[in-house]
Amino acid sequence: MARHDRRVGYGLPLVLAIALHLAILVASMMHFPQREIEPPSATIVQATLVSTEATTDQAQRAKQARAQALARQAEEAAKASAEQEATRQAAEATRQAAEAERQRQADAETREEARRAAEEEAARRAKQAEAEAERRRQAEAEAQRQRQIEAEAQRQAEAQRQRQAEAEAQRQAEAEAQRQAEAEAQRQAEAEAQRQAEAEAQRQRQAEAEAQRQAEAEARRASEAANSFITLVRRAVEQAWVIPPNVPAGASAEISVKLGPSGELLAATLSQSSGDSAFDRSAIQAVESAAPFAELRQLPISVQRDYRQFNLRFRPGDIR
Amino acid sequence: MNDSLSIPHLIMNASGVVQVVMLILLIGSLLSWVVIFQRSFVMRRARKAHRVFEERFWSGVDLNELYREIPPEQETQGAEHVFRAGFREFNRLLAKTRSPQAILEGVQRSMRVAWSREEDRLTLHLVFLATVASASPYIGLFGTVWGIMGSFQSLSMAQQATLATVAPWIAEALIATAMGLFAAIPAVIFYNRLSAESARLLGKYEDFAEEFHSILHRNLQGRTDPGAE
Repeated sequence: MARHDRRVGYGLPLVLAIALHLAILVASMMHFPQREIEPPSATIVQATLVSTEATTDQAQRAKQARAQALARQAEEAAKASAEQEATRQAAEATRQAAEAERQRQADAETREEARRAAEEEAARRAKQAEAEAERRRQAEAEAQRQRQIEAEAQRQAEAQRQRQAEAEAQRQAEAEAQRQAEAEAQRQAEAEAQRQAEAEAQRQRQAEAEAQRQAEAEARRASEAANSFITLVRRAVEQAWVIPPNVPAGASAEISVKLGPSGELLAATLSQSSGDSAFDRSAIQAVESAAPFAELRQLPISVQRDYRQFNLRFRPGDIR
Repeated sequence: MNDSLSIPHLIMNASGVVQVVMLILLIGSLLSWVVIFQRSFVMRRARKAHRVFEERFWSGVDLNELYREIPPEQETQGAEHVFRAGFREFNRLLAKTRSPQAILEGVQRSMRVAWSREEDRLTLHLVFLATVASASPYIGLFGTVWGIMGSFQSLSMAQQATLATVAPWIAEALIATAMGLFAAIPAVIFYNRLSAESARLLGKYEDFAEEFHSILHRNLQGRTDPGAE
């Protein structure tokens, strides 16, 4: 009988248990990331609608409340679509801007290309002209020599003078050639300087355009953040607003809101009364109960100061 | 969104109490699986040993020989243990008393002791399995309740109560319950299975003890009757 294996140790079971857990862990990790994909925005919209209805039900005016809820829903849908439209337009605009920029760069490149080609052309023509002149000069010299030979045959004495004249002419030609070379060099230097200056100007222009684009983007981001902040504030106040019964149609109150640096409410004052004190009070209470607006801190710092104070217009049905 | 709802991410971001609960449950699950594996091996081995011993016992071998086969200091298990305890007691008493009643009583007592040791050995740690099975759902539930409390506290500070603000908290809290069930379900299943198996083995040992007792009884009758005559 095999008696040596009577005791069963805990080592192998421990290893098996740990292996099992690791396998389950790995399986769950591999499985889960592929699953849960939900559109989060839809849930947000639904939640807002439900709570709006609940708030207005508390206002004990079911009919009006339902109408308001519908209106608000429509408004929200419109807002959402408008926002979508706006974002799409913004994307379109940025794309167009990028396109224009690319176009401009391409234009600049082609212009540069043309300019370089023209310069090359000019240089080549100058060189050609020089060669022509040289050839002509040579022909002339040849003719002169011929004439000199004739003259030598005629007059020996004159030949000496002629030779002197020739030497003179040669010296003059040399001086001329040197002067021409100098002029050429100077022209080239000038052209080089001009090209450099142009390149510099081009670079500067590009830098300017870049800076401008960045500034624009910054401003757009800031205004977007500000818009979203205002929207959030409006929505929060809307949710907290309990409209009193018997509001005269067309009543509208304007509340001036002052916020602290971290979004806490410093003051909510009535800047324009609606004439109905209950309505005014309810508007102020809505602002007070919706505070603090902690979203202020998420704004860019440059814009924060502009939104520390703003006005809200209360009308039954919407807040502007 | 997708990334923040993955299970490892949720576990890492859970609050301290919930993480402690998850750790307890993980350890419980790990230990219960250790017990499950270890007990399964023990049971399988005990079953095999019992089969081998029974074949040997009923093969007609002389009982004295069978007893002497193993050195007395070596520890035995299962039916063999019962047999050795009973036979040793039988031999000792046989030398001291002639009363078959006293001998049989002593043998029965020692066999009962050996049997109860075997019971102890077979059901070792099964209580732990039962504890994990019954307690870990409650522990997981505690973690979930704590997590949801946290989620509502954070909800009271939020401006807008949307599903998106609540969902991660609740998902994170529910993981604790899932882990509790994960630890409890195998523990329940294997507790039932292992305790049934150990009960069956113990029943076999008991049957064997009865049979052995009857053999000894027959033996004593055969021995005392000629002595009385």
